[in-house]
Amino acid sequence: MSEDGARPLAWGRRYLVCSPEHFTVAYEINPYMHVEVRPDPERAMSEHQALVSTLEEAGAQVERLCPVEGLPDLVFCANAGLVDCAAGGPKRFVPSRFRHPERQGESAHDTAWFAENGFEVAELPGDEPFEGAGDALPFQASGVATSPAPGPVMLAGYKMRSSISAHAAISELLGAPVRSVELVDERYYHVDLVFCPLDGQHALVAPQGLDRYGCKVVEALVPEPVWLEEDEAASFCANSVVVGRVVVMPACSPRLGRLLEKAGFEVAVTPVGEFQKAGGGVRCLTLALDTPLSSHPAGDSGNHAQRYRTSRN
Amino acid sequence: MSASEVLRLDGHVVDSLVLAKVLDLVVDSGATYRILEMEIGTTRRDPSHVRIEVTASSEESLEALFASLHVHGANREDAADALLVPAERDGVLPEGFYATTNLPTRVRLGGRWTSVESPEMDCAVVVEPDSEGAAASARTVPMHRVRRGDMVVVGSGGVRVDRPTPRGCGAGAGAGNDEDEDEDGDEGELGSLTGGGSFGFMTSDVSSEKPKALSVERVAGALRSARSRRERRSGRQEDRSPGGGADRGADRGADRVLVVAGPAVVHTGAAPALAGLVRDGWVQVLFAGNGFATHDVESAVLGTSLGVPLAGGRPAEHGHANHLRVINELRRYGSIEAAVQAGWLASGVLYECVKAGVPFVLAGSIRDDGPIPDVVTDTLQAADAMREQVAGVGVAIMLASTLHAIATGNLLPAGVETFCVDINQAVVTKLADRGSHQAMGIVTDVGLFVSELAAAVGALPVPSPT
Repeated sequence: MSEDGARPLAWGRRYLVCSPEHFTVAYEINPYMHVEVRPDPERAMSEHQALVSTLEEAGAQVERLCPVEGLPDLVFCANAGLVDCAAGGPKRFVPSRFRHPERQGESAHDTAWFAENGFEVAELPGDEPFEGAGDALPFQASGVATSPAPGPVMLAGYKMRSSISAHAAISELLGAPVRSVELVDERYYHVDLVFCPLDGQHALVAPQGLDRYGCKVVEALVPEPVWLEEDEAASFCANSVVVGRVVVMPACSPRLGRLLEKAGFEVAVTPVGEFQKAGGGVRCLTLALDTPLSSHPAGDSGNHAQRYRTSRN
Repeated sequence: MSASEVLRLDGHVVDSLVLAKVLDLVVDSGATYRILEMEIGTTRRDPSHVRIEVTASSEESLEALFASLHVHGANREDAADALLVPAERDGVLPEGFYATTNLPTRVRLGGRWTSVESPEMDCAVVVEPDSEGAAASARTVPMHRVRRGDMVVVGSGGVRVDRPTPRGCGAGAGAGNDEDEDEDGDEGELGSLTGGGSFGFMTSDVSSEKPKALSVERVAGALRSARSRRERRSGRQEDRSPGGGADRGADRGADRVLVVAGPAVVHTGAAPALAGLVRDGWVQVLFAGNGFATHDVESAVLGTSLGVPLAGGRPAEHGHANHLRVINELRRYGSIEAAVQAGWLASGVLYECVKAGVPFVLAGSIRDDGPIPDVVTDTLQAADAMREQVAGVGVAIMLASTLHAIATGNLLPAGVETFCVDINQAVVTKLADRGSHQAMGIVTDVGLFVSELAAAVGALPVPSPT
């Protein structure tokens, strides 16, 4: 890995979080959730406050969503929806369509917050499930001297929580290209458990949650992927966020720490063990409010598809 | 029978390798695919659209495959119901009517795929709309039998044809369409004329240079397995209703053996062997023409075929009129059955048919002498009579017949095991080229073939008294 040409993320300086007053494990919709293993409310609160402090210390601005009783997973803001803050366009919010009824009540609160905070709310057409930034993360490769940087590409996961049919709708709605990857391991039920963009060159990738096609897609998209070991993936290392050159992680192995430092990153570990009982890490607890998804780089215009038709006889 | 359907895949499926994955899954499942249309976005944001025709070995495996592909965004192309147009006049089909193949066919009615009854080529599909308590049904109808107001399928939209699995490509590829798939595996080993699978004309591959003993054994195997299916079914029926052995009816399985015989069967001396097959219960229905019937009776009564003594081989004096005299006598009796009852006709293939209660249809043609009273001279009536007898046929053997073989082939569903035996390769090829590509061609002398076939299944020939 090298630092050359590694452009820091253009986003990740402003986050939405939700305090865990009403956080608990009240139902089981992923392999981590066990209603008999409830999180400790006080410890959850202190972990959350530490996370917010770490983000702010790293230079991020943090906004707050009001917790709601009866919606314990509202703390996992990443699943609220997709945020598009592309320059030159309106700030847009695409609310999620949760697969599980247990979480569907969150959407109204998410949408209300965004509407009150100056976002245009764009509903996703169709009725396919889609779980927001938890299942779609933008990656924008750094350009090289000979060609301009391409626009961001959404790496989107499907099968566990989101439908691949929703990816096409997202792409159309936001005007952003999507790479759909199948999530093949139920432990990694959202794409943010297997993929974390770090800058224009690097991303954390947990191949354990992808199949060979997904790994190839990531290899084609990310110039220098940082592949996670089994234990790193299992401890939610990919469920991290990046503020400039600071990687805020729920855990980090010495091996991974050395790799990240070598690539020019500073690692800030902030444990979120109580939230991992519900299957969420740092990324799940935050929603970046400054993601530019619908960029329109020059030279990428025109809408003429090329058609190949094979004769039926 | 294999099954095909068109999938659609939309989105950024190329760069996401979803297209590659879907195609790999298709191939890994044992199915095949054909990309019908591919529209690739030219910018990074443009989605791609792909239409893929997928063919699997059975409807079940296609369903299972589609279920596994759905999660990857590959969906059945939205199918519309079949378009129905009422016939304006009796015997006249609406313009653009869907012309059938002999393959199993389904039409989409009210969102459901409904099987078309009695698959038959060159017909139209008439739909009986659903009524109180009864779902919509569809059946093949030949042109002359359509009636004003019949709802006829027009165009190929909402029509699905299941293609036959090439024989020898997997278990259960045989003709049996009931649950009693042949157990001895003979059917799966049969070669087809095309080997290709889909319905088409002019695609035959017949050679006279094939070992005949093997061909005889294959036909014998088909006869044996049809017989064992009949016996199993008969056993089941007896289990259900003690004493009830009625074999004919709507519930017939595809286990009857049909023989289509040309006059050369008699000329070449094969009639006694065929009579033995009928007598011993290897044949359940016979189709022939005036010629075969005439010479069968002539040989039984006078010992000649077209005036040539079958025992001697030299033309008999005034033998050229023998067949006319025989026809004349039969006309005097009024029917073949009456001649048998009177004791005048006491041997031969038709005699054994009457004795064994094997139905026969004699279809006339323009050059017939007489004809024999049993011959149906109206071709439409003859075809209808044959059509009725085709139900339940699982094996068809065409013996030295061109017109009647092709006429029969036109009526048979593709699932019927069909053997065409003729000394002339062109006849065998012609049958296949008229769409009956399930036929296995055997180019050989029919006299020797039938004798060997009878010997192979253990049927003793019934010699003519003279």
